[in-house]
Amino acid sequence: MILRYDIPHNAESMVELSEGEKIYYAVPIDIDEKGNWTDDSFFVVTTSKLFIIRGKKKTEINIADLDKATAEPGIGGGILTVRQGDSHKVLAHYSSRHLGRYAYVARGINILISGRFEEVISNEYEKTCPICGRAIPGTKRCPKCSGEGGFLSMFVKMAGPYKKDFLGVFLIMVLVAVTTLLNPEVQKHLINDVLSGNGSLKTAYALLALMFTFSASIVVLNIMKSNASARLGSKIAADLRRQLFEKYQKLPLSFIGDRRPGELLNRITQDTRFISDFMADVFCNLFAILFIFIWDIVFMMVLNIKLALLTFILVPFVSALMITFRKTIGRIFHLQYKKNDDVASELQDVISGMRVVKTYGKEKDESERFKSVSGIFADIQKKNERFWAMFDFLVNVLMGMGLVIVVYFGGLDVFNYKMTPGELYQFIAYTLLLFQYIGWLGRLPREISRLTSSLERIYDVLAQDVPEESDTVKDIDIKGEITFDHATFGYKSYRPVLEDINAVVKPGEMIGIVGASGTGKSTLINLLMRLYETDDGRILVDGTDMKDISRKSYHSQLGVVLQETFLFSGTIIDNIRFSKPDATTEEIIRAAKLANAHDFICALPDGYNTYVGEKGYTLSGGERQRIAIARAILPDPRILILDEATASLDTESEFMIQKALERLTKGKTTFAIAHRLSTLKNADRIMVIDGHHIAEIGTHSELLDRKGIYYNLYTAQIQF
Amino acid sequence: MSDNTLNIFEQKAEEMTATRIIPVSAVFTRTDGGFVSLDLDGKHYDRVRIIRLFPFSDANRFLSVREYEGDGKEIGIIEDLDAMSGETKEVISDQLTLCYFTPVISRIYSIKDEYGYAYFHVMTDKGECRFAINMGSNAVSKLSDTRLVIVDVDENRFEIRDVDALSQKEKRMLDLFL
Repeated sequence: MILRYDIPHNAESMVELSEGEKIYYAVPIDIDEKGNWTDDSFFVVTTSKLFIIRGKKKTEINIADLDKATAEPGIGGGILTVRQGDSHKVLAHYSSRHLGRYAYVARGINILISGRFEEVISNEYEKTCPICGRAIPGTKRCPKCSGEGGFLSMFVKMAGPYKKDFLGVFLIMVLVAVTTLLNPEVQKHLINDVLSGNGSLKTAYALLALMFTFSASIVVLNIMKSNASARLGSKIAADLRRQLFEKYQKLPLSFIGDRRPGELLNRITQDTRFISDFMADVFCNLFAILFIFIWDIVFMMVLNIKLALLTFILVPFVSALMITFRKTIGRIFHLQYKKNDDVASELQDVISGMRVVKTYGKEKDESERFKSVSGIFADIQKKNERFWAMFDFLVNVLMGMGLVIVVYFGGLDVFNYKMTPGELYQFIAYTLLLFQYIGWLGRLPREISRLTSSLERIYDVLAQDVPEESDTVKDIDIKGEITFDHATFGYKSYRPVLEDINAVVKPGEMIGIVGASGTGKSTLINLLMRLYETDDGRILVDGTDMKDISRKSYHSQLGVVLQETFLFSGTIIDNIRFSKPDATTEEIIRAAKLANAHDFICALPDGYNTYVGEKGYTLSGGERQRIAIARAILPDPRILILDEATASLDTESEFMIQKALERLTKGKTTFAIAHRLSTLKNADRIMVIDGHHIAEIGTHSELLDRKGIYYNLYTAQIQF
Repeated sequence: MSDNTLNIFEQKAEEMTATRIIPVSAVFTRTDGGFVSLDLDGKHYDRVRIIRLFPFSDANRFLSVREYEGDGKEIGIIEDLDAMSGETKEVISDQLTLCYFTPVISRIYSIKDEYGYAYFHVMTDKGECRFAINMGSNAVSKLSDTRLVIVDVDENRFEIRDVDALSQKEKRMLDLFL
């Protein structure tokens, strides 16, 4: 993300720099003081001053006078405010386009306020290209400006590895075109030499045999062509699917989190399917038809240039008509499709909410509502069908007219001996071919643009830079000391979830984490699990920055039990073994025993081979949780993370699991989130998170003596 | 000791459920920094937040006035901004302009779609502007049959109050997104 814009010269000249002063950040202010769009205002931060430039007006503020700068997100925009003692002041108002930018700038100003001179750099990508103004589909560079976009380059990129297959398909296509074009030529000879001339029966048979061979080979070649391109299409699609899947696994969670899950799923399933469909339906005909089309026109001109030109006059009309109608059709059918969606979602709503509808006695109202939605859909459908019928009719009439022209003028030429009947027949055949493919060619641009956007979405993912681990990462044997050093993090740069977290956790210590929902407890744990990286500050493990430890080594020494247990489709033993693929059966049984899972597994008819997961044996919440615990402890982790591990269970299961956990947490650095404080009675220290910070930290009795948040929570819970 | 704590919770629950209407007599003042301060029943708030409860259906009625510091507790609700004194109305309206930025589209000059994004060139009540939306996402949502909210790639929000008030040509351009 750009934090230092090139601002216009006249604005920049208003920033007077003193000796040694330099511009750190310069960003546009796109909303003026009255709340309207503006493009002549800028916010400039230098080493010691803030400048607000509005047209010819300039305001200067000394950074030394300020206490804090904040970028406050609002609705559809935000404001940059500064605090000076008790007084707050608005400096700039900007739209959402600059929300992230100002968050970084505010962070930068605060660094300057604290007397340091580090410059904040943003690694986020721009959403619109600063050069051409087009939206960037989540990639680092604009695909247009970097010359990577466009159909041809995309297609070449996709086709590159399959050169041989493409060549094969291409050759068959040329053969198809040649045979298709030769057939009318033979028919001409049949008419001229045999029917109207004095040809012998022998010639007739020979020509008929040739015609038959051509027709048969067209069929055979077409089958071969479709077959080859369909096979090629599914091969490409399968390779792309595999590449996408591998990439998804490598990409940071923030990439996945930024996109709706359906969208990512679609890229693997729908976009790749579209590519194989395109190959099978469009590409297989592409060159053949282009080839036929061009030669068709050439042959027509050679046969009878006057007649050919007459026919071509109709072509623009037919194409123009088709293009306008196609646009309208696209529009009205899109509308129909949307309304169909409305009907479906209305149905979905009512059927899945049937209990609510019935309990409130709203059956009649819902029926009325559905009736109106369904009625609108029916109306649109009716109108569209009528339009469709008209369209077909019109196109046929136009094409028929073309034929009438050809037959009339061609017939005159035949009577005047300017043309033989065979040539006229051949010409008519070519005319029919021409009209047949105009329609197909008209569809081409849309198909190509759809393919391009599918390819773009796929390559957008494949082109995504995966933060590579540096070569300096090392494997370490973790003892379990965790240090939070000014750790700051937010899922979106302008909305921090955790700010300036500082704490030292001793090896083997159990830390209970409490706090209201949404205060950042789970986020803290996400950082510990290394699903995300801190924006500012560090987390140290045994004195080494987490980023310098190899992921593999770190994750193999980490055990996690979450509130919602996810079991993969597979057997119980597969699920436990997931955390340590080379574990022996003895180790697995030991882990299951430690997790209090062994006994219930024994009671299952299929024992450890019981198939669980989406379509498998239904385990209760407590049983699933115990399997998850066994999975977490199997590799004997040094760090254990429990996020509400027992919250969704009934009291008895919870008690049993707590018992299991007590045994496990001994000697391991443990972080446990819990709402029910009784589950934290074994914790060495409690960390209370409130308002993005660690509000309180200490032993149970220390915190009770403080009479703060923990005290209130605790007393409230024992009363109930 | 626990009795005392319980009382705190009782009190909190009481506060949570009570709805307080801010009287016309409340004094809202513009601060030097461009914010709003409030004096109500002898209590002074340096800076208050003002939040629309019905930003689309009733933008000037039912405004929640909240503390800026701490949890942002609700001080009270302004039932109808138009019923407040002229000066208060102005001060609060200015504050709302600062926190809510949803340009209302009055004319559509062009909509061009290219590779999965649609580029709008429009006139809004905040001036002329261009923006892009992602066609793949649900960028256009309907508030009613004729009222739309469009969210662009930067998460700016644009509103079309009445689709039927647009010309036939503009409507046809919009059709793809309806």
